[in-house]
Amino acid sequence: MAQCVQFVEEFVQDSFVPMVAVLCSEEAERATRKNNLNFTELLRPFCRLTSEGHIRDPNNQLQVVKNLRICVNNVMTNPNTASAALSPAQRRLLNEVVLSCQPQEGAVTNVITAGDYNLNFNATTPWFKAYRENFLQTMPASDHEFLNHYLACLLVVSSTEAVPVEQFLKLSQEQHRIQHSGEYTNPKWFIPNTLKYYVLLHDMSEGDEQRADVLYEDMKQRYGAQGCYLLKINSRASSTAEDEQIPDPWSQYLHRNNLQNQVILPAVFDNQHFRPKQYFAGHNANGVSNSLESHPLQLDEGSGMGALHTLSAANTDVKKGARDPESTAGGAGSHGVCLTLNDHDHIRQFIQEFTFRGLLPHIEKNIRQLNDQLVSRKGLSRSLFTATKKWFGGGKGPEKSVHEPKSTCGLLYPPEAPELQIRKMADLCFLVQHYELAYSCYHTAKKDFLSDQAMLYAAGALEMAAVSAFLHAGAARSYPAHYMDTAIQTYRDVCKNMVLAERCTLLSAEILKSQGKYSEAATLLIKMTSEDSDLRSALLLEQAAHCFINMRNPMVRKFAFHMILAGHRFSKAGQRRHALRCYCQAMQVYKERGWALAEDHINFTIGRQSFTLRQPENAVLAFKQILTNDSRQMATQQAAFLREYLYVYKVTKVFNHVSSLPMLPLPCIHSSATRVYFGHERRLAEGEKQAATHVSLDQDYDQDLAAMWCHLEEQLVASANRGTVPVNFQQTQCCLNSQTDNLRHPLAVVEEPMIVELTFRNPLKVSLALSNLSLLWRFTPDAASPSKEKMPEEFMGETITNEETLALGVGQQTANLMVVRGKQDLMIQGPRLNQTKEDKMLVRHGPDRRLDPIITPNMPLMEVFFLHFPTALLCGEIRKAYVEFCNVSSVALSGLRVASTHPDFFTFGSQATTPVTPLSPTSAKNCSAYKTLATVNQPGSVAFEVLVSAEDFSQLSTVVEIPIEGNVLEPGESTQLPLWLRGPDQEGVHEINFLFYYESVEKGTKISHRVLRHTVFICASRSLSVQASASRSSVPPHHCQDDKGCSGTLVVIDVENINTSESGVREFHIVQVSSSSQHWQLHKCINPARDKDCKLTSRERAKLCFRAKRCKPHQGSSYRKKHNHHLKSQDPSEDKASDLNNIVKKCNELDLNIIVIWKAFVVEDNKQLILEGQLHVALQTIGKEDFSLVFLLPKCLCGHVLLFQEAQEMVLLKFKSEQPPPVVVPSAELSQLIKTNLHYPETYTHPFVQNSLCLVPVTLTLSNCSPAHVDIIVDLRHKSTSPESLEVHNSFNWVGQTQYKLQLRPEEVLCLTLQACFIQAGVYNLNTPRVFAKPAEQGTMCETSQQTSSPALIIINNA
Amino acid sequence: MAVCIAVIAKENYPLYIRSVPTQNKLKFHYTVHTSLDVVEEKVSTVGKSLGDQRELYLGLLYPTEDYKVYGYVTNSKVKFVIVVDSSNTSLRDNEIRSMFRKLHNSFTDVMCNPFHNPGDPIQSKAFDGIVSGMMVQTG
Repeated sequence: MAQCVQFVEEFVQDSFVPMVAVLCSEEAERATRKNNLNFTELLRPFCRLTSEGHIRDPNNQLQVVKNLRICVNNVMTNPNTASAALSPAQRRLLNEVVLSCQPQEGAVTNVITAGDYNLNFNATTPWFKAYRENFLQTMPASDHEFLNHYLACLLVVSSTEAVPVEQFLKLSQEQHRIQHSGEYTNPKWFIPNTLKYYVLLHDMSEGDEQRADVLYEDMKQRYGAQGCYLLKINSRASSTAEDEQIPDPWSQYLHRNNLQNQVILPAVFDNQHFRPKQYFAGHNANGVSNSLESHPLQLDEGSGMGALHTLSAANTDVKKGARDPESTAGGAGSHGVCLTLNDHDHIRQFIQEFTFRGLLPHIEKNIRQLNDQLVSRKGLSRSLFTATKKWFGGGKGPEKSVHEPKSTCGLLYPPEAPELQIRKMADLCFLVQHYELAYSCYHTAKKDFLSDQAMLYAAGALEMAAVSAFLHAGAARSYPAHYMDTAIQTYRDVCKNMVLAERCTLLSAEILKSQGKYSEAATLLIKMTSEDSDLRSALLLEQAAHCFINMRNPMVRKFAFHMILAGHRFSKAGQRRHALRCYCQAMQVYKERGWALAEDHINFTIGRQSFTLRQPENAVLAFKQILTNDSRQMATQQAAFLREYLYVYKVTKVFNHVSSLPMLPLPCIHSSATRVYFGHERRLAEGEKQAATHVSLDQDYDQDLAAMWCHLEEQLVASANRGTVPVNFQQTQCCLNSQTDNLRHPLAVVEEPMIVELTFRNPLKVSLALSNLSLLWRFTPDAASPSKEKMPEEFMGETITNEETLALGVGQQTANLMVVRGKQDLMIQGPRLNQTKEDKMLVRHGPDRRLDPIITPNMPLMEVFFLHFPTALLCGEIRKAYVEFCNVSSVALSGLRVASTHPDFFTFGSQATTPVTPLSPTSAKNCSAYKTLATVNQPGSVAFEVLVSAEDFSQLSTVVEIPIEGNVLEPGESTQLPLWLRGPDQEGVHEINFLFYYESVEKGTKISHRVLRHTVFICASRSLSVQASASRSSVPPHHCQDDKGCSGTLVVIDVENINTSESGVREFHIVQVSSSSQHWQLHKCINPARDKDCKLTSRERAKLCFRAKRCKPHQGSSYRKKHNHHLKSQDPSEDKASDLNNIVKKCNELDLNIIVIWKAFVVEDNKQLILEGQLHVALQTIGKEDFSLVFLLPKCLCGHVLLFQEAQEMVLLKFKSEQPPPVVVPSAELSQLIKTNLHYPETYTHPFVQNSLCLVPVTLTLSNCSPAHVDIIVDLRHKSTSPESLEVHNSFNWVGQTQYKLQLRPEEVLCLTLQACFIQAGVYNLNTPRVFAKPAEQGTMCETSQQTSSPALIIINNA
Repeated sequence: MAVCIAVIAKENYPLYIRSVPTQNKLKFHYTVHTSLDVVEEKVSTVGKSLGDQRELYLGLLYPTEDYKVYGYVTNSKVKFVIVVDSSNTSLRDNEIRSMFRKLHNSFTDVMCNPFHNPGDPIQSKAFDGIVSGMMVQTG
């Protein structure tokens, strides 16, 4: 609110000051004119008295008059009478005043925090203050009060006059004529005998000072020493004045004064046939500088016409002038150039002298007089008047009959009516600050007027009574606010006098505010708003708004609402700047709080006002907010907003003549969703050839996938750099989006395109047509780099992902179509930093360099195509495809490698080596993948051994070097390689990722390498399930001398057709079984049933049995070279033998891979196809015969191989690594330490009649399978606890030594001869010896029972 | 009956504003927004004197030239504002009170909807129906 600098008391007091008229002779006027001032202006800065005056009230009490101000005015015989409304001229003046008073740029602003609102608004409202001051000063004098009637008249005559006394006389008569002739209703005079004060003005620079003194003496004689004064001014010549700096007290008064003059002057010259319109125009435009001239009319000719044309533009000029006091002073020349400081003092003294000697005594005298009159009349008149009124029923004496056409505000008294005497006295008392007396007088007057139904008078008295009560400091009486309310209501409703009502409101509101009653003040102010004056309503509403915000609990929303109302009124009153300010302040409350409708309205208004005020930037900003806010306006409304915005935009553009494109707010760019794609346009397919999928904008970013690719790339780089990843390794990123790491500048290659994908969003319900989109870019050549960098071709990206429909403007009429060409900046903010403490406290964003690529010189560019690439395979199926590598760049590439997530899925057949090696399948199409060798193997016989070079096994990594010729692919060259694929072992859809790596032949390029991605999806369907188990042959070693040690092993392979598709696969043929091992050879098929190809139709199952024997350890062997699948050759456990588990493991180790090669007959489209494939099973541990063999699945094992123990299956599936799972059951392992064989005759005939005891020799062969010493205990006693053997064994006993403690050296075979004793014929199970073994070093005796599974039956016959 | 019914969230943003279609929507938005000051004032004064036993119905917030604005605040500080035409003198305080109660019940139902995200603008047919029943029938 208006925190007035002035105190309220001072303001109220200054609103009512003694008025003094001035009549000036021509000569005197000329003397003051030297200072660029007229006489009243000359006096004005000195009108406030600094010293105290004294006055005696009627009771002879001394009354102090403090800080009195008098008002000096020229006598203006204004023909206008006081009216209920302001004249147009006055309105214009007020408008000007308000317009010229704008908040300064850096003005003090209040910051108020109310709730969660932080408001910033002007602490002071100088425009309101100016308005109020001017309003009060230009108030026309009215008949019902005397406060602004002239109390005295200064008659000013120059000493250079020939006969000054005569001149005085003339002026005196003039004054008398004005006051008493009845010719003029204005100005009004307080008392019939106005105080005349004679002033002799002496110009020091011109006249003779002595003559002046003489004249003054003469005047003293004539008018008395109290009634005249000699004022000496112009002590220095104007020409010499330059060097001395004298303060210019006039400047702050004169601007206002000028405006005031403008209004008053036309009234003065009204009857002189001027065209007022032209005059005003001139004055509005040039008022500041011109109106100081004595005859402003002269200026009309020069500037009036021009001003008319520029009237609209002149507002700004006036404002500029007003803001800058220098220009005000400078335009009219500085004031008071001929006055020294002494002269200033003289003037001050003169005013003081006049007030204390002339004015105050005059007032005092009049108060006394009036008081006497009143007192004398009181006893008589009071009772008499009221009595007569009663008796004669409203016959109100002569006055009433005179003023029969009584106005709405009750009756009017003639100026000298006795009822007005008391009011007159009250006004006088008020003017000399005797508020107590004034109050009682007003109070009395009010009663009188009210009883007379003289409403206007009563209201006036009420108003002044309230004001005096307020000003009467120290009175017990509180401020009677209801007086004011009544007064305002009366003025407004009864008298229809808005001017007075307004004055009353202004006073009352100010007083209420000073008492903290903001709510009441606001109510008053709001009540005063009406249709008749927009300016007043606007100002009052603004003040009311300020009241709301200043309440103890600030009413923020009311503030905002009234600010909007005020803004609306301001704009209606043509005060655009103020309107804009109001709306902007209100905006703070509505902004971003969900009140979209209101917010849009305000923004719209702000936009419009800003536009009309030539602030296109602000207008654009405001409109932009409407458009970009998610507004809930209807489509038509949005369209209107949009049109307005576009119009503003167009005009702005034309107006400013900007060469660069303007920024458009629509459509919104979702900048963080921008994707940047580096890469050429690839051919997706060419005939049957399928291009590698690589990266495209259609793919969504996936964190896991990205990590996977990064891992592959790392491996590739490592393999290219001899196993180490360089420190500065960076993943190649082809497509940058919000989730990728955008901290570094991306590298783009010259002559390769860059695609930028933008996401636009249209927040409106109105469709926007986007056309001719193009991407603007800037290129900064790098001076430091010597390489010649060319401008890259950058194509505009027109990938538009629509979030809302962007309809093209075809359907619209061309007339309505507004085309705006503009640009939008593309700035991407990086992710919010959250590392350090500062980052967490503040909102900081990291850089995002997605859009700042560095262009590097040419790099090779490779394309990869696939031919005959299948999409579906049977598990383990072998298929041939071709891969083609093309170098499409102008630089040779080398170092071609590929990494894959499924390295076992494929292998390259080398073009060059194909015909030579029998290992590779023929490249002939669609025939068998396997080459049938010339040697015809007899099935079941020992076969053919093929050496596989060690390196075929040693490829441990997922990276494969691609064997292209010469390792270099020249520009434009392409090469084709066969690619063997093997269906994954697990059923289902497999995603297989390839990452091709290549690098430039030249070294030291910025981009060290490039990669190409390819992803395929393979659907694998079930084929065969293969189970294999190995068991130690129970054939004693001496029976098979060709075997070494205990290496006779039986391999049982269980094959089942589990293919489920009814239509496709007819049958499977097991073509061949091979082993791929460094230690084992498959020796002989010992399948008893049949020895030809086994055919498996659906759900059939076959069992194949082979004997494996150890071969020379250095030989890797297999029947047929299978394609270089990475069979992991199990690292032989070469750990120290001290590790128990290791020893055991080693003894049981069986590093044997079984490869089953099959053919499948498939009917597809009535054609029979033969598919081929192979399945692998790796056997690593030997099992016991009783099915408890440990059966390990290496990584290439079919997932659907059935396992014997469910628990184990779980464990094993989890461990797909090369290492077998840690030993779970040590006893099972240890039970394999010793192999036992019982040798005995199958049947034994014994004559039990002769000898009841039958002794049979049995040999127990113990062979140590482990490479360590083993302690063995053989216990022959029957295990009595074993329930199933009880019955059987009770008839047979071991005789002789029944317990042996032995130690076996590694691989040692020991025979024990035992004797069994039978007492009757029958069939016996001899396999009862319990053998316990433990490694010799093992301290504790943790013996483990060795295998005793299969029964060893002996038949004893009775002879 | 009412010419405008509004539901304002605790944080003083509108959850629901519906006004009769014949009149300027913007005006009601401003009116409702401005009334929040009075609501706040009333709640703060009532809250002190009565402790937790607060009457939810706030009564007439303020009369304007054309409208009367009534307020109601739930315990969770959600405000209901009903604007009634000044010319409609037949409407009693009790009726307004029952309108608010009905509105509150319906609002509670909306909040009970597990798919409604508290703090989002209300989009409920049932609520719409209740509000429509309370609005002036312009037909």
